[in-house]
Amino acid sequence: MTELGVALRYLRGRLVASVLTAVSVALGVSLVVASVLLTRGIKEAFLEGTTDYNLVVGAKGSAAQLVLNVVFRLDSALPNILLPTYEGLEEDRRVEVAVPVAMGDAYKGFRYVATTPAYFAAFPWRRKRFTVAPGRLFRDDPAARPSYEAVLGAEAARRTGLRVGDRFYEGEEMAAYPLTVVGILRSTRSADDRAIFLSLPSYWGMNEIARTMAIKPLTAVLVRPKRMSDLPALHRQLNVSEETQAVFPSAILLTIFNVLDLAEDVLALILTFVAIVVVLYLFVSMYGATWERKREIATMRALGARRATILRIVLLECGAITIVGGGAGLVGGHAVAYIGAQFLAARAGVVADPFALGLLQPAVLAGVVIVGTLAGLLPAVMAYRMEVAENLAPLS
Amino acid sequence: MRRPLRLAWSVTLLLTLVGGAPLAHGQERPRLTFAQLAESMRANFDVTQQIKSYAGREIEIQGFIVPAGPPDLSFFLLSRVSAMGNYCCEVPTGQDETVYVFAAKGLKLLYDPLRVYKIRGVFEAGKQVDTTYGVSMFRIRDARAEEAVGAKIFKVGEGTAPAAKP
Repeated sequence: MTELGVALRYLRGRLVASVLTAVSVALGVSLVVASVLLTRGIKEAFLEGTTDYNLVVGAKGSAAQLVLNVVFRLDSALPNILLPTYEGLEEDRRVEVAVPVAMGDAYKGFRYVATTPAYFAAFPWRRKRFTVAPGRLFRDDPAARPSYEAVLGAEAARRTGLRVGDRFYEGEEMAAYPLTVVGILRSTRSADDRAIFLSLPSYWGMNEIARTMAIKPLTAVLVRPKRMSDLPALHRQLNVSEETQAVFPSAILLTIFNVLDLAEDVLALILTFVAIVVVLYLFVSMYGATWERKREIATMRALGARRATILRIVLLECGAITIVGGGAGLVGGHAVAYIGAQFLAARAGVVADPFALGLLQPAVLAGVVIVGTLAGLLPAVMAYRMEVAENLAPLS
Repeated sequence: MRRPLRLAWSVTLLLTLVGGAPLAHGQERPRLTFAQLAESMRANFDVTQQIKSYAGREIEIQGFIVPAGPPDLSFFLLSRVSAMGNYCCEVPTGQDETVYVFAAKGLKLLYDPLRVYKIRGVFEAGKQVDTTYGVSMFRIRDARAEEAVGAKIFKVGEGTAPAAKP
């Protein structure tokens, strides 16, 4: 019988203890993998889902709330700004593109985002590409004749079950202004997947207060300057104004990342303690197992097994437990990350990839096997140094 | 006994040379200021020969980070004035107030709009049109960034040397 065969037979001999040890390793690894996948996924989701526009202009208030609401569709909207702010920016010679956005109601939890077709336009500097399939974009209708056409984000279409041609509204007061689905967007892996887009005149027409206002309201304006060096001046100018604030979306994300990094550091500390506990458990388990079978080891030695063979068998036992536990932990970690990602997507709209493969998985598995095998080193040395005569002596 | 002594001397000498190399290199890196950049501007997007002489060389400049590009900071503006909204009283005037900073990879740093950062990288001067970021006058490529504790940002008319006490 090979050394590995002997090691596996030993493990089978104390099945419950071996399984419990492997489960503790698996739980530790699952925790590490799930935590890393989710924190990394949240960060990447924010990076991927961010806007290509450099400034978000909105009403005075929380800068983070403005960006989270307008770019990521989280949090509630700030008070309105007025249409002339957008018109002023559109005419500003420093501005290449200004896109108005108005947000308010929702259908089955998917927010209405009123804008112009410019929101979906492709520019050389733009990473995000919008493709309508099936259908078309809503019409750029005049303020007096709203078309009440809607374009659904991929996720909004999938979850509401709406198709091109369907008419929908939410709440009795909206029954007079049903929206007609004219297009469905392909997934952009961003908050736009969960939005219902419509034209500004349609939005103003549906809104009882906006209908009566002579100067129409907006939530924000997305701004792209012709040259970046004009940004600080634009930013400052819009901030010293009494009505508006201008925010760099990247600045808000960097602030969020600063907090995430802090949470990651705390998590790393907790995970280190978890790893120490798991390694200690493995050590105690192997130490106990070696102590219990002193006589068996002495018998093997008496039958001609060398000290090095005994050392290798104990290390192989440890290695086998960590490989099984580590492998199960990787699978478990991805499963926990999947559940966490579903929860995040439903509650916060952040789409993290729970199945992202990279260096993490082999690094964690290799680390677990090396550290786990090292945890078995002391019991292995103990078995190596065991005296045959002492341990084969009669028990009574 | 002599051989270990000689070996110890050799190791000490080697460590001194290796350890001293970055310092010597650091001393050669010129530090530019926003005041120098502003004063180098000439008509028709031209800059002085003196500032052009730094082009292609590794320089250092200090300023506030304006996260005008992606949040991984692979591109950002370095400005003399902080991007802290309406809490300050100066309106930046345009090209001379900013340097376009490009990092080979995204930078990992603790972003704070009120902190002064030290940026090191390869300097470029003169008009350039970028399809993504538009027209620029001054750029830094392959940039690295670190916080510059207690730094002062010099305006036009201010020198880099500390003012003499009366």
